[in-house]
Formats: sequence, structure tokens, C-alpha cells
Amino acid sequence: MFPETLPEIADSDLEQFFQIMLTQYGYDFRGYAPASLKRRLGTVLKRYGLADMRTLNQRLLTQPDYCERFINEITVSTTELFRDPSAWIALKTQALPLFLSMPQLRIWHAGASTGEEVLSMAILLTEMGLYDRAQLIATDIDKRSLNQAQKATYPLRNRALYEQNLKTVFPLSSLDKYAREEEGQLVFRQELLRNVLYLQHNLVSEGVFGLFEIVLCRNVLIYFTPELQDRVVMKLVDSLVPGGVLMIGTKESLFWCSAAKRLVAINESERLYRRRQ
Amino acid sequence: MKGREVFLWVVGGSAGSFTPVRNYLHQMPYRQEMAILLCLHRMRNPRISMIEALGRVPEWRVLEPDDKTFVEGGFVYVAPADYHLLVEKEGYLSLAVDEPVHFSRPSIDVLLQSVVQAQWPRAGAALLSGANRDGAYGMYLFHKAGYFTAVQDPADAEIATMPEAALALFEPKVRFPISQLVEVTLQALSL
Ligand SMILES: C[S@@+](CC[C@H](N)C(=O)[O-])C[C@H]1O[C@@H](n2cnc3c(N)ncnc32)[C@H](O)[C@@H]1O
Repeated sequence: MFPETLPEIADSDLEQFFQIMLTQYGYDFRGYAPASLKRRLGTVLKRYGLADMRTLNQRLLTQPDYCERFINEITVSTTELFRDPSAWIALKTQALPLFLSMPQLRIWHAGASTGEEVLSMAILLTEMGLYDRAQLIATDIDKRSLNQAQKATYPLRNRALYEQNLKTVFPLSSLDKYAREEEGQLVFRQELLRNVLYLQHNLVSEGVFGLFEIVLCRNVLIYFTPELQDRVVMKLVDSLVPGGVLMIGTKESLFWCSAAKRLVAINESERLYRRRQ
Repeated sequence: MKGREVFLWVVGGSAGSFTPVRNYLHQMPYRQEMAILLCLHRMRNPRISMIEALGRVPEWRVLEPDDKTFVEGGFVYVAPADYHLLVEKEGYLSLAVDEPVHFSRPSIDVLLQSVVQAQWPRAGAALLSGANRDGAYGMYLFHKAGYFTAVQDPADAEIATMPEAALALFEPKVRFPISQLVEVTLQALSL
């Protein structure tokens, strides 16, 4: 066997998997783009030496304790501090100035993963003197990632990249202001998290839960089919106050989304939009 | 032509592939029934984008696809830096930020495997010079699925690791020197 071998996954086995996740646990994976979902499932099968999807399905049926870990394994948590720095520059120069005179600034990070994106926002707000007015909510389907986010502790090997990204957005700043090394880890100051709330929330099956001036949902939609993207973006736009700002991932597109009509571009190439008044 | 009707031609490579691929694109006759999927490893955060580096290619539309771009003939889709490119059954392209495979994102294996999984009606692939074994297994799967496969002759490749890794797994339909990539493409398309 080659190390890169991934088991083939038949559509019928996938069907059973969808049913189990939905009826036993309330997770709806039917709208996830199949190519990557099959890949992830294959990786999980391999990791546990499971012969096929039937075995995994069995395990999910009989071991409810396994579900939380499974959600962590099946989702993709890749993220980084100030990922796509040019998008953050657009936020800094074109979006945040719209809210300078507002008494409050409510921000939702949908699909916040292990928290680097929220920390980036916290740093951005601090640098701009807006932090005290802000209330940030970080949500994700994956509880384990959120637990990590709350610790704000990352491998030290990420340091150079994070510093470089931060300096691209704020040339005069430095990571030392916000994080320190501790026992071989990069630990961000808890101060940065004082206005952040972490909540488990499923964008697919749960409704809108508040109104926000800014909503970020980056690199989450890529895992959905066009139909599900349409539904989820509708929820994101419903969560915006009129004039509120939406940012999606740099390679994501609103092409399939009817809610695009309710938005105007602030910066199309950085995927920065504003809800019509 | 659009969606699953389109012939997908995957070109994968790494170190030593970029310049030959640029020359190839400039020589490749336009075909509206075919889309080229370029999956080349490259640096993270490169100074200039791959699209700029490829220069203006006559007739073909060259772009880095956004997520869920519908496949169209006459297009060259370049896998964007730091994303995996995948083909979906429904006829569009997906991007993903899953872990790198063979230290590579985009990974040629991931792309090739997705074409096989999607049971795309007509496709072929060429694997070029490169310094790691990404693509070898995907080419093997392609071959097993009955698609046309072409591997650059290791003696002709600037770095032979990638084609050699593929040749260790299976015998492709053709081995070719890079100067013949246009002919090989047209041969694949005509089958
Ligand atoms: C690739 S990460 C993106 C992290 C961050 N937004 C960024 O761009 O750097 C995708 C995140 O989406 C989350 N996710 C996937 N499906 C979800 C759903 N149905 N509801 C909420 N979050 C979801 C995953 O758990 C994962 O943490």
C-alpha cells in the first residue's frame, strides 16, 4: 500500500453516513461538497485502520462519545493569524472606518476554527483604538477547535509567519506586543480575549442569533455545495445590520448566492461587501 | 462547451516544470472542447502571481478559479497557491485548505483523485519534472480508471524524482520529452 492511498467511498455508504449523523446527532452533512468530504472520510478510515465506511458508520452508531472527536477530524481547521494580509488591510482601511463613530461594534466570526482569525480582529481593533467598544462572537461547529481558540496558544513554529503577516498589515507593530513564548508555545495575551465569546454553532442547521455590524465567514463556504452556500449566505446577510459589512474567503464567490442582491461590494477582489441600507 | 462534456487535461509538475509549461501554453492550439487544469507546486506568497508569470496566452482564457467555478472548455485553470483544487461530479471546481499532501498545496494527487472519484467522462493527465513524489499515485489511479496518462521521460526532466515515482507504479500510455507535450495533448484529446 502506498502512503497516499485513500479508500474509495461509494455514494450508498455516504447516504447511510448522512442519515446517522442527522438522526443520531443532528449534524447535516448532505450539503458538503462531495470531493473534499470523501477525502476527509477516507483519511479518518485510514487513521483508525477501518476497512470501509460501513465500519465507520457502525462506530458512529454505537459510540456516541466518539462523535465530538469525529467532528474535529472531519472538519478542516486550517487557519492563521492575518491570513491573506491584503484582505485585512482592506478591512482596516475600507471597512472599520465606517464604524468609527458607532457606540458599539458587534462582530461575528462564523467558522472561527482555532481562533487565529478572532485574534487578528482583536489586534486590528486594538491598534485602531476600537477594542473597548467591540463585542466579538466566535462560533464553530467543532467544539475542540473552539476549546483551542480559548487557550489562544499555538505552536511556536507559526511565529515567523504570524509576525510577517502582522507586519504586512501593521508595519510598525510587533507580535511581542500581543504574545509571548511560554514552554515552547506561542501564547497570546488573555487581554485580547476579554470581549470575545466562544459558542458552538452550526451554520447549516441553526438559525441567525443576533445582529452584527461585521460578519466574517472565511474559508467555510468552500466546503459547501452551491445550494448550501446560497442558504448559508442568506443567514449571514440576515445577521447584518443595514450597512453592515460581510467578508468571505479570498477565493470564495457569491456567484451562486441569491443574497448577493442584498449586498454591494466595498472591495470585490478582497471579498468585502456591505449590506444595502 | 461546459461541465461534464468538457475534456479535462491535467498537467502536474513541480521544480523544473514552470518554464516548459509556459512555453507549452503559448504553443498549444486553442480547443473549445477542452479545459487545462494546471497544478504546479510553488512558493507560498510568491512575489508575482502565476497568472502574471504565465503571460498572455493566445486565445485560451487563463485564470485561477474561484471556488465552485463551473468548468468550461477553452479555459486554463491554474490551481491557486495554498489551496487544493478538486473536480466535482456536478461539473464545477472546488477549492479546499485541507492539510498539504507531500508538503504540497495544491497537490497533484488530490486533483487527480478527485477527477477519478467524480467519474468524469473524458480526461487525461501529464506529469512533468519535479522534486517530490506528489502526483505519482494519482497518475496510477488515473491509469487504473482507464484515462490517458503521459509521463515525462525522466532523462528529459530537469528533476526526475516525480516522473520516476510515477513510472515505478505503472506504465503510462506514453513517455515523452517535454518538447512533445503539445502533440501528446492532442493525441489524448483525439482518443
Ligand atoms: C478552514 S477553517 C476557516 C478558519 C478561518 N475562518 C479562516 O479563514 O482562517 C473552516 C472552519 O469551518 C468550520 N465549519 C465547518 N462546517 C461548519 C458548520 N456547518 N457550521 C459552523 N462551522 C463550520 C470548521 O469546523 C472549521 O473550523
